[in-house]
Amino acid sequence: MAEAANATPQLVCLGLNYRTTPVEVRERVAFPEAKVPEAVHEVRSLPGFEEGVVLSTCNRVELYATHSLEDPQAAHESLVDYLVRRFELAQEQAEALVTYKLDAAEAARHLFRVVSGLDSMVLGETEIFGQVKAAYQKALEAGTTSRRLNKLFQQAFTVGKKVRNETSIQRGSTSVGSVAVDLAEKVHDLKKCRVMLVGAGEMSRTCAQSLLSRGAHSIIVSNRSHERAVEMATEMGGTALRFDEWEAALHEVDVIISSTSAPHFVIKPELVREVMRKRRWEPLLIIDIAVPRDVDPQVNDIEGVYLYDIDALQAIADGERRKREKQLELCEKIIEEQLAKFGFVKNP
Amino acid sequence: MTADRQLLALSTLAFMVAVIPAVRALLSGQWRTSRQWLLMLAGFALQTGAVFLRGETVRQCPMKSLSDVLVFTGWSVVLLYFLVGPTYRVSLLGFFTAPLVAMMQLLAFAVPNAFPDYAAKAKVDAWVELHAALALMAYAAFALTCITGVMYLLQERFLKQHRIGGLFYQLPPIQGLALAIRRLLALGLVLLSLSLAVSFKLTTPISNPKLIFAWGVWLLYAVMGVVIWRHVLSPRQTAWLAAVGFIIPFISLWLVTTHG
Repeated sequence: MAEAANATPQLVCLGLNYRTTPVEVRERVAFPEAKVPEAVHEVRSLPGFEEGVVLSTCNRVELYATHSLEDPQAAHESLVDYLVRRFELAQEQAEALVTYKLDAAEAARHLFRVVSGLDSMVLGETEIFGQVKAAYQKALEAGTTSRRLNKLFQQAFTVGKKVRNETSIQRGSTSVGSVAVDLAEKVHDLKKCRVMLVGAGEMSRTCAQSLLSRGAHSIIVSNRSHERAVEMATEMGGTALRFDEWEAALHEVDVIISSTSAPHFVIKPELVREVMRKRRWEPLLIIDIAVPRDVDPQVNDIEGVYLYDIDALQAIADGERRKREKQLELCEKIIEEQLAKFGFVKNP
Repeated sequence: MTADRQLLALSTLAFMVAVIPAVRALLSGQWRTSRQWLLMLAGFALQTGAVFLRGETVRQCPMKSLSDVLVFTGWSVVLLYFLVGPTYRVSLLGFFTAPLVAMMQLLAFAVPNAFPDYAAKAKVDAWVELHAALALMAYAAFALTCITGVMYLLQERFLKQHRIGGLFYQLPPIQGLALAIRRLLALGLVLLSLSLAVSFKLTTPISNPKLIFAWGVWLLYAVMGVVIWRHVLSPRQTAWLAAVGFIIPFISLWLVTTHG
C-alpha cells in the first residue's frame, strides 16, 4: 500500500449502525468492552495507520482513525478487511456488511452529530455522549491517539455540550417509561418515593425499572399470579404482595403503576378517596397502562391525585419527540458553524 | 435624586431585567438560572446600599413611611430568597420574586410624599427598631409563602391537566412546594411572634392601629398554621390561602404607614 511521504495524517471513519445494518450483523461485529483496548491497538497497527478509536455500542460500531495512505479508498478497505478478519466473518457475512465510509470533514461532521445525539435511534438521547467519551478515554489510555484524534474528540465534546446548552434537543422525555419518571419526579422526591405495581406486565416493569434507576426508594409488586409477583419483585429488589392485599397497602405508596388484565376498573374513586384520607393529602401519582383501563378516570378529579393513562403518556412522549425534531435544524446549524470554526469546512 | 434613590432605581431596574432571561429561558425551553441569579444578586447589593444610605439620612432604620416599608420589605424578601431558595430547591423562586420586588419598589417611588424626612428622634429605641425589623422580615416570609403558593397552584394545574413542558420542568415537585409553604409560613409566624413579644418591652408607645393590624396578621397566619398542622384543608386549598392571604399584610402595611 502506498503511503504519502510527510503528508498530514488523514481522518477516516468506518462504521455501521442501526440504520445500515440489522441487529444480527451488528451483534456479530460488536466489540466487547474488555476487548476495546486490544482493538484500538490492532487498528493503529494496520499498515499506514497512525491513530485509532473504537466506538462500540448496541446501536453502532465505528472506527475512527488517521492514516497517511495516498488513497482514502485503500484506508476504508483496510478497515473493512480488519473487521472481517477480527470477527472471522464468512464471505456471505462480509458481503452483507453495509458500512459508511467517511473522510476528513464528513467524518468530523458525523462524529459531531453522533456525540450530540442527532444520529441516535432516540433523537437527542444523552447516553451516547458518555459512550463516546468512554471510547475515547480507552483509546487515550491505550496510547492509540495522538494530536489529530485528541483534537477531534475534544472538539466533538465541545460541540456536544454546545448543542445541549443552546438547543432543547435533549429536553423532555420521548418514551412512556421516561415520561412516567418525569411525572414521578414532579410529584415527589424520588429518593423517598415508594412505588406499587398492580399487575406485573412488561410495560409496568419498564416503568418501574426506569423509576428505580433514577433512585426511587422501594417497590412493591402485586399480581394475580403471586409467583410472578415474587419473581418480578426479586428481580427488582422489591417486595411481593398477595393480590388480595394490595388495596389495603395503597395508602403507603406514592406512585401506583397499574397494568392488570381486568375487563373493568379495579381502582375506583371511593377507594382512592379513602386512600387520600389516610395519606392526609400527600400527593399520589397513578399511572394506568392497562388496556382496557384499570383506573376510573374520575379518580383524577380527587384532590392530590394525578392520573395518567397510556394515551396521556404516549401523547406527552409524542409531543416531546416533535419538539426535538423541530430543534434538529438549529442543531445542524451549530454543527456546521463549529465545523467551519475548527477549519473542517469553509464558512457556511 | 439623592444617592439612596439612585441606587434604589438601579436595583429596581436590575430586578426588572432579571425577569427577561427567565422569560426567554422559559420560552426557549433552556433553563439556566445563572444569569437571573447574578441580576438578583446585583439588585440585592444595590438595594442594600439604598437601604443603608436611607438609614444614614433618617438616622434610624428606615421603616416609618409606606415607601420605606415597601423597600425594606422588598429587601427582606430578596434576603430570604437567597437564604431559603437553595434550601427548598426552589430555584425558580427568583423568577417570581424579581417582579414582585420590582413592583414593590416602583410602588415605593409612586406613592404620594415618597421617602419623606423623618422627625428627628431624641434617642433611637433599639427595641422599637427590633420590633419593626422583625415584623417586616415576617412579612417578607409571608410574601415568599405567597409566591410559593402560586408556584404550587401552577404545578398542580400542569399535573392535573397533563400540560407537560416549559415551566413544568422548572418547578419543584408538588410535595416539596407544599412543604416549603408550611416551613415559610412557620418562619413568618415565628418572626412575627418575636416581633410582638418585643412590643411588650417597648417604652416608646406604638400607635394602637399598628399593634391591632400586627395582631390581626398574626392571628390570620396562626389560624392558617393550625389549619395546615391539623390537615383541615387540602394542600391546594392551603396554597390558595397562602397566595391570597398575603393581601392582608400587604394592605396592613399601607394602612399602618398612612393612617397609623
